[in-house]
Amino acid sequence: MDKLHLDQHISQQFNHELEDIRNRVLAMGGLVEQQVDQGLTALLESDGELGQQVATADFEVNAMEVEIDEECIQILARRQPAASDLRLIVTVIKVITDLERIGDEAEKMGRFAVDLAEANAATSYRKELRRLGDLVKSMLRDALDAFARLDVDAAIKTAARDEDINAEYQTLQRLLATHLMEDPRQVSQLLKITWCARALERIGDHSVNICEYVVYLVKGRDIRHINFDQVQSEFLSKPT
Amino acid sequence: MNTKSNTSAASDAFDNLKETVGVVTVDDPKMSARNVDVFYGEKQAIYDVSLDIANNEVIAMIGPSGCGKSTFLRCLNRMNDSIPTCRVTGEMSLDGEDLYGAGLDPVLLRARVGMVFQKPNPFAKSIYDNVAYGPRIHGLASNRAELDDIVISSLQKAGLHEEVQDRLDAPGTSLSGGQQQRLCIARTIAVSPEVILMDEPCSALDPIATARIEELIDELRENYAIAIVTHSMQQAARVSQRTAYFHLGKLVEVGSTNNIFTNPRHELTENYITGRFG
Amino acid sequence: MTEPTESTNKVAPRKDSTSIVKKTLAKRYAAEKRFRFYGAAAIAMSLAFLVLLLGSILVKGLPAFVETHMLIDVTLDSKTLGVEEGATQQQLKAANYHSLIKKSMRGMFPEVKKRKAKKELYKLVSTSAEYKVRDQLMANPSQLGETISVWVLADDELSSFYKTGALADRSKLTHTRLSEQQIAWASTLEEQGKLRKKFNTTFFKNGDSREPEQAGIRAALMGSILTLLITFLLSFPIAVATAIYLEEFAPQNRWTDLIEVNINNLAAVPSIVFGLLGLAVFINFFELPRSAPVVGGIVLSLMTLPTIIIASRAALKAVPPSIREAGRGLGASQLQVVTHHVLPLAMPGILTGTIIGLAQALGETAPLLMIGMVAFIVDIPTSVTDAATVLPVQVFLWADSPERAFLEKTSAAILVLLVFLIVMNAAAVFLRKHFERRW
Repeated sequence: MDKLHLDQHISQQFNHELEDIRNRVLAMGGLVEQQVDQGLTALLESDGELGQQVATADFEVNAMEVEIDEECIQILARRQPAASDLRLIVTVIKVITDLERIGDEAEKMGRFAVDLAEANAATSYRKELRRLGDLVKSMLRDALDAFARLDVDAAIKTAARDEDINAEYQTLQRLLATHLMEDPRQVSQLLKITWCARALERIGDHSVNICEYVVYLVKGRDIRHINFDQVQSEFLSKPT
Repeated sequence: MNTKSNTSAASDAFDNLKETVGVVTVDDPKMSARNVDVFYGEKQAIYDVSLDIANNEVIAMIGPSGCGKSTFLRCLNRMNDSIPTCRVTGEMSLDGEDLYGAGLDPVLLRARVGMVFQKPNPFAKSIYDNVAYGPRIHGLASNRAELDDIVISSLQKAGLHEEVQDRLDAPGTSLSGGQQQRLCIARTIAVSPEVILMDEPCSALDPIATARIEELIDELRENYAIAIVTHSMQQAARVSQRTAYFHLGKLVEVGSTNNIFTNPRHELTENYITGRFG
Repeated sequence: MTEPTESTNKVAPRKDSTSIVKKTLAKRYAAEKRFRFYGAAAIAMSLAFLVLLLGSILVKGLPAFVETHMLIDVTLDSKTLGVEEGATQQQLKAANYHSLIKKSMRGMFPEVKKRKAKKELYKLVSTSAEYKVRDQLMANPSQLGETISVWVLADDELSSFYKTGALADRSKLTHTRLSEQQIAWASTLEEQGKLRKKFNTTFFKNGDSREPEQAGIRAALMGSILTLLITFLLSFPIAVATAIYLEEFAPQNRWTDLIEVNINNLAAVPSIVFGLLGLAVFINFFELPRSAPVVGGIVLSLMTLPTIIIASRAALKAVPPSIREAGRGLGASQLQVVTHHVLPLAMPGILTGTIIGLAQALGETAPLLMIGMVAFIVDIPTSVTDAATVLPVQVFLWADSPERAFLEKTSAAILVLLVFLIVMNAAAVFLRKHFERRW
């Protein structure tokens, strides 16, 4: 986090607090990443036990969110941060909300994995789900990386990959819809698979949000809901 | 820790500072300064500062001690004239009239550009006489009734009338610190200035009295152009619409208060308002 | 919130500092106690000296406020006087009262025959008795030829002797120039009730005199009042104006520095030099009257000016600059700032300086000697151009006189001088209270 000079406040205590908050967010990111990874694995390998484990582990994510939130409120109240410090705290509050949602999606996948393992039904779309899952996982990892390194370029490039995920998700949905029309007896299983695909797609959206917060944190500009080309031309560093 | 490189980076940023970041001008300025240099003897206190002060707006000037913000403020009504070694170059104007030219008398200027000081400094006179002093020396009231009107309306505008209406004959120094400062503001308003300059008006006051003064500043904004120097960044953030950051005699950055406090553009401004090594 | 991790520059109290501090405590308190004792001792000592001084002056001076009167029967016989019935006032004034008094003294002690004894007898009565009788006769010319009883002043030697109470108890007598014969006469007079003590009004009514019983302080007191009046009227406005100009208006440059240094040096110049200056400039060059309060006042003004200027500048400097800024910030001109705000706040300090300066001037002798105010002044000065002397010079003159009675006069004059000083200080305190305001 060199760009923000978080360790250069006159108040050492403040430095420690910010450092601590940043580490906790990264730890939470790691945990969430692991949850998504394991949820997906449970789903693909019809591992009901692992799925159950993922579903029950979500409370850890939730607890971390509450803790970090509390710490951010303390900093706001006691330090009255301004400029980059203020943007960091606001970004952290927002990032952990998205991370918590991602955790919820992982929990969802874990529970569906349990159901699907019992019905032994997920095998049919394993390939498509794996492809979507891999895209989502790498995007989440890159988004968290961009946050950790405050890399605006990486953040913008990562956010752009949401298009691929959406496309993949659309394809999978079409397949599932066709299958559903052909074989209405499997509607319960197919719907669950659809929900899982939907969860993965949502994780992609949350990753985009994280990328956008990184741009706000570093550049001080809110790029949500503005034309993506404009964002790219404005913030992407030109190759030299 | 990497303080050394940061400090040198900051001083590089300062040395490379050619011109102020942000827009120093406003449409229809009340007062404006262009390329102002101020010297105390051989020592230069202000380097090439240009800044406009707009009507119905509070502009806050912040910066570390000795950055020249107070000096700049005091140039705006020529309070520095009394320092023999002080020399001001560049252009400063009020409604387009040159401040340091032959046309504008300093006494007249100070009647139009009032000043409130860091330490509440009521005269050793009654509350009434404190407020009436300015109108008396300028002959603004032709009889006692008119003077009464000016005094009462000034006290009302300063939000002090209710508290002191029963004891207008009491000495001004018998009031509390916050009341004294509001008395000083009433005294300034009584001369009907167009611009009010405030030099750290709340630095000697407790938070409640400070909040009252800040509320008053916000009300006064409706009718006056206000420039305030403050050491409290929170205060600058609360009361001002525009903020100017001074550093070692240079005006580093000017911008809307909203921007300065969330996303300053210059590294020095950022360092100062976030409390980093600078 | 997390605790800070390992910090490189820890600020922690020394563990043993309490015991170290405790060891030094007793020593520090002892030093303080000693210092307090020195201070108290110094004050006690100075108070003791003051009491000693005042006491000795009081003891010596108080008898001077009492005078001795003697009752004599005077036969206003026209032959001795050398005037006719129905004489004019002019003739009455020029009459021979000297013989008249002698005659009446002889009348009281008819047994005295010898020439030498007669002379001693005459010495018991003050020469002012003649004037007393003269005034009485001139007031009532019809009394010519009658015998009247008049209380007249006793001579200073008799007076001194009588006031000590030595007549009743000879052991109280320390030193007298009266002969045994004279003391016997005095006893007789005392027995006949012809001697009495009275509050000494003569001392406050008369000017100086060769005869101690007739010498008074009035001329010197008036001289001092007139001189100080001139000093005050000249030095106060000039000094205050100078201080204001230098402090509030003058540019800070080499010239003002030079002036400042000179003013400070002037305060240290020996006062006799001012006397020489007064003699050379005011009397010899401007030909102002010699011995006059006006010249004394001018000379003392020169001496007082630096004191008042320095004190006034200090008082002006002590006025908080925020008051000046407040005034200027409202658009008051520099003069308005000074007269409306600064001067009222500095006034107590300026008055203190003025009183110190005037008190110094009141006690000054040397420069006045140079301009002739050391003269023997019998007439009470009524204007600033009359010849006059001042209290300290009078003290000096009397202290120099051989007559024993002048010793008590000297102390009495010092007392008057001190009272004058106290009155002046009281006036200053009153004025200061009046001007003093909180800020």
